[in-house]
Amino acid sequence: MHNSIQTPLSRTARLLDLVPYVASHQGIEIEALAQNFNVTQAQMISDLTTLWMCGLPGYTHLELMDLSFDSGFVTIYNAQTLSNPRSLNSEETIALLLGLDLVIQSLPAEREDLRERARALVEKLSSRISIKAKLTAIPSAAGSVRALIENALTKDSWVEITYHSSYSDTVSTRLIHPLELRTEGGYEYLWALCHSARNLRVFRIDRIQKLVPSAPPEAPLYAVEKEAEKTAYAIRVHSRPRAAMERFSLNRDSLSHENEILSFSSEWVQRSIMASSGSVEVLEPSGLRNEIAMSAQAILDRYKAH
Amino acid sequence: MSRKIERLINLTIALLATKRYLTKGEIFRSVDGYDGSAETMERMFERDKDDLRNLGVIIEVGSFDPVFQDEAGYRIKPEGYSLNLGEISGVEIALLSLAAEAWRGAALDDAAHSALTKLHSMGVESDLDSLPAISPRLNPTHSDFQVIALAISKREVISFSYLSAVMVAQMRTIEPYAIATRNSHWYLAGRDLEKREMRTFRLDRIDGEISISHGGQGFEIPEGFDVFGSLESDETVNIATLDVRKGKAHLLRIIADSCVDKGEWEQITVRYFDYQQFVDQILWHGADVLVIEPTSLRNQVIAGLEEIVRLHA
Repeated sequence: MHNSIQTPLSRTARLLDLVPYVASHQGIEIEALAQNFNVTQAQMISDLTTLWMCGLPGYTHLELMDLSFDSGFVTIYNAQTLSNPRSLNSEETIALLLGLDLVIQSLPAEREDLRERARALVEKLSSRISIKAKLTAIPSAAGSVRALIENALTKDSWVEITYHSSYSDTVSTRLIHPLELRTEGGYEYLWALCHSARNLRVFRIDRIQKLVPSAPPEAPLYAVEKEAEKTAYAIRVHSRPRAAMERFSLNRDSLSHENEILSFSSEWVQRSIMASSGSVEVLEPSGLRNEIAMSAQAILDRYKAH
Repeated sequence: MSRKIERLINLTIALLATKRYLTKGEIFRSVDGYDGSAETMERMFERDKDDLRNLGVIIEVGSFDPVFQDEAGYRIKPEGYSLNLGEISGVEIALLSLAAEAWRGAALDDAAHSALTKLHSMGVESDLDSLPAISPRLNPTHSDFQVIALAISKREVISFSYLSAVMVAQMRTIEPYAIATRNSHWYLAGRDLEKREMRTFRLDRIDGEISISHGGQGFEIPEGFDVFGSLESDETVNIATLDVRKGKAHLLRIIADSCVDKGEWEQITVRYFDYQQFVDQILWHGADVLVIEPTSLRNQVIAGLEEIVRLHA
């Protein structure tokens, strides 16, 4: 996608940034240059033509920048005054500061050397725009895991994961078919068909150490696939509507009515209803209603016994 | 449009190249693009100065002789104009590149990309090979994220409509201090001008546009202010003692400070900050968690359970 909005100011900014970029990438193709600045080739040629007319007062060939791009390759000489990149503005600096914090927390533990260098960069940048607050970015999942999961969900494809289970404290490799992403208690969970376990499994995505796209298993899990259809649940929100909306991904406009939710897992629905502390009620199916009432009563009895 | 742009570039070059202040007269005579009546040129120049300042170019105003205060002159100091990160290595450029890449598809994508262009114009080759293969990504958030970023850097007050826990949209006016992200949510912290207190907001609960109230008085951001640090400080901390079934409730175990073996159960102590959130978290674990202390928390959990039974009986 190209930048469609062009103001004289945004073009001026681009031209000012173009000069040092070409000066440090002598002989770059117009096409590559257009791509980097996110404009069409025609726009880039128009930009270069404008620049070609600029220079120091006097404007003879001695003062004009020596810019050439006829061959499709761009070179620039005699651009001393503009050849240093412009300083970063505050928005750019904030973007880098948040990005750096994310990088620091995503680097593997054994690379303390790199963390140290990244921290020094944070120091350098924040002193430049006098941002006194700490800009924190804690990653939700290792590296690119989350993006790859979303990709697999869209394409309905299989992936192979390396997973650390805190329960057994082991690391295993599994072939899974992602079904849905759910957030609980500030953590994101992936519901998936696990070929290795031949069943539905739940994975906390920050514990997925590695994820690679994979071909589906040779012997498909027809039996499980059939089981793993979404079930509809009817719920009603009685209080704390914002929390309910966020937990169950409800539509804001229908909060006061009966809501239908779809899920692969009745366990998730049951836990979510419990965690709503009595602000959300299950209407259907009645089996789950009873189960929730009974298990809540059982816990109450234990409290009374203590 | 081209002529205006040419003039702005020529003006920048001239003001950068000069070793002394240039008077308006000198600028009008020598910089290409200024023509028309004196008044026209005057107006052009005023606009051009504003435009360059909006691009972040610092134009210094001075005079040749401070004693006699003759005509003002203008120049752009190269040290203020250009990027200066001191000594910088290929590894550091690579780290900054990763930082910028993290914004791909997210709010500050454009700003991160233009920062990257500047960094790559420094003539230092990025040494990406020396970094481990990670590609962290920041989550997309409110479409007005740039407005917040800008307001923080310019110390401007912002207003927005915020959804309360009961889904009522309320206007909030705050001095923004910092933004941060965790568990795929974005947070904004600042001083609420009406409540006269520090408040933290989740960006996905902001309803509609965020506006900057211009001309507000500048404010100070406390040195080293930390969004999560302010939410989770010694003043807001509570400690609970819980019995958890062996091999269960690992979400609570990760945040536990201590753990004592009690046979079928284990007793852990956990620090918590948000009361209701913690009650919800305990109930999520159903029969695998029992609150021992404090009594207030225990009663709150029991009240929640009673309500669940009442609704579903």
